[in-house]
Amino acid sequence: MSRRLPQIVCLLFGLIMFTLYFLDHPTAKQINTLILVDYWQIIFAFTLVVGVISFIRNHVTAISRGNDRLYRLLSLFGVVLMPILALIWGIKGDSPFMWVFENVQVPLQSTVFSLLAFFVASAAFRGFHARSGPAAVLLIAAFLTILSRSSLEGLLPDFIPDIAVWVRNNPSMAARRAILIGIGLGSLTTSLRVILGIERTWLGGEK
Amino acid sequence: MTKITSRHYVFAGLFAVVTVSMMLNYSPDTVVSAETQKMYDFVESLPAGSTLIISFDHEASSLPEIRPLALAVLRHAFRNDIKLIGTALLSEGTGVGYRLMQQTANEFNKSYGVDYVYLGFKPQYIAAILSMGESISRTYPVDYLGKTYSEHPMLKDIDTYNDIAGVISIADGSLTTHWIEYGNARFGVRISAALTAAMVTTYDPYLSSGQLEAIVGGLRGAAEYEKLLNIGGGGKRGMLAQTASHLYVLILVIAGNVMYFRRRSSGRGNT
Amino acid sequence: MTWFAQDTVLTLIAAILSIAIVLYTTFYKSKDKKIKIREIAGLRAVEEAIGRATEMARPLLYTPGWGGDIQRPTTIASLNILSYVAQKTAQYDCDLIFPTHDPVIMAVAQEVMKEAYANAGFPDRYREDNAFYVSSSQFGYAASVEGLISRRKPASVFLLGTFEAESLILAETGNINKAIQIAGTDSTIQLSFFIVACDYVLIGEELFAASGYLSGDRSILASVKAQDILKVLIAIYILIAVLWVTIDPSSAWWKL
Repeated sequence: MSRRLPQIVCLLFGLIMFTLYFLDHPTAKQINTLILVDYWQIIFAFTLVVGVISFIRNHVTAISRGNDRLYRLLSLFGVVLMPILALIWGIKGDSPFMWVFENVQVPLQSTVFSLLAFFVASAAFRGFHARSGPAAVLLIAAFLTILSRSSLEGLLPDFIPDIAVWVRNNPSMAARRAILIGIGLGSLTTSLRVILGIERTWLGGEK
Repeated sequence: MTKITSRHYVFAGLFAVVTVSMMLNYSPDTVVSAETQKMYDFVESLPAGSTLIISFDHEASSLPEIRPLALAVLRHAFRNDIKLIGTALLSEGTGVGYRLMQQTANEFNKSYGVDYVYLGFKPQYIAAILSMGESISRTYPVDYLGKTYSEHPMLKDIDTYNDIAGVISIADGSLTTHWIEYGNARFGVRISAALTAAMVTTYDPYLSSGQLEAIVGGLRGAAEYEKLLNIGGGGKRGMLAQTASHLYVLILVIAGNVMYFRRRSSGRGNT
Repeated sequence: MTWFAQDTVLTLIAAILSIAIVLYTTFYKSKDKKIKIREIAGLRAVEEAIGRATEMARPLLYTPGWGGDIQRPTTIASLNILSYVAQKTAQYDCDLIFPTHDPVIMAVAQEVMKEAYANAGFPDRYREDNAFYVSSSQFGYAASVEGLISRRKPASVFLLGTFEAESLILAETGNINKAIQIAGTDSTIQLSFFIVACDYVLIGEELFAASGYLSGDRSILASVKAQDILKVLIAIYILIAVLWVTIDPSSAWWKL
């Protein structure tokens, strides 16, 4: 029964959402909005609670074991501090919450994001070799694309940006579309397997 | 002690290239691409008084790249007297979006509630996009500042996507895809996007099929947009650093290949 | 007033056709003995990756990326592979770490792992805190997983799910730490990063076929067959449309 009930709920809501997509009646729209706005948002709120509990439990356990104590204490301090700031001064305008967001969160996150540029550089140096004919073609295409996306475009002969645009709009696009069609069909069959109860791994159960 | 490897030199080189070029007070000229021109033309084609949704679908991390893009698009819209509804489908874009809208609105003397409204964050992006198609007022009963939806004069006749001219998703990831798959496919709303450079080619199939109206991408796109608007900005300022780092990566690729072929010719390179 | 949204008629026809084909293959063709699926190198390497972690007495790190949530089919597909990987790690007594950005994915992953450990006959080896939530923020998640890879030095890293800009950061960190890496995603742009930095890559739909491939379940394999039938139908449609528009450039029926 513990598995059967979620499967029935899953099938029921799968069918409801599928049907509502094609209906134009005001009642159908009301039900749709009810599910999307109220029900879905309530579930989201509860998932946040689950996340916070897991986060705290995970860090407290690690601290008690003596793993990365300083970092984990700092993380827990943040988890406690931010809601207090939000509750006392709010989260808008020039509140302390926004100050922390703009002066701590934004620079920290941008720094991690900027690592991407360093990793692109090292990956290009290490892995982008003309090992074979097709790899050499890829290399040349990438070369022309990078050149045409920089400010040097105006200084380059016209055929270089033209080739780059052609590569992007033809072979690259064709490959991308084929992959997207495959992904779309894969998503369709996986969703159907879940709705019909053929796939039950998500319940922790066997197929 | 970590052993210094070629990877560390590569990192140090990139840091030096970007830092030095940021210090130089020079902004190279950019050629406006067809896709940026299309985005500009799309906003230009909207009659004054029409309403656009600007959705801040990005994280705080991409702000250095997103900010110049968002500012250029917002300035263009306000310059053309287009009314704007701000939303955010990622929590971190919420505060950022409000600040950017407020800043540009002040530049053009636009009033809150009359010329623009910021509805704020709504979790569960797919649900949010779908439910806005049914009723924006029901999805956002109150705005970011806590005022009720009906308080705003500009929202008086707006409740579904049928009442707006389009959506511009300012995104650093795949959220624009959901606007296309649910907003456009289900409700027929016109979708455009201002994207980080890494995401631009992801949307090529949608752009060529017409499901996506127009895109402007990356720092380069921001610089091109600023050129079209005849203004300066973060896009133009960042172009030297971007061009220098592109060239640096090209040099690295050449160096990597030279080393690879040298290793291969000496019989060690088949790795 | 009509009940039916007229503009969705083509979507409805396509949906019914697709569902009919999936149901037909799943419930009828699954009895067919000859359902074969081609070898997928990335999945063949799963055992090698687990074996390596066991031999080196290091953990195995599995993460589904920042881009997906539980309603995304890619996440479901990733959790199916997790189930197989968890059974193997239970058998080999290898530590399996599962950091995620989504509390619901965490809860489901815990259930999947618990069940897999029980099925493998080693429920006592399961540790609930091995699947944990780190941060909903993209680069908070990236920094956390990157830190885990750098500190715990997993012998094998599985990056299977929906990834966005964090993909290369995680894959390169795994590469720096000399982990064997198996990646797979439905994000086309991130595939290029994975191909450069990882040992094996599952491209798009291979991720969805994985649970059938790994489990050998006939009904799942049959639904993979349905994908192929639909793909052939789409290819035929594209071919006809291209020929038609070549002969009659003014035609528009093919736009649907």
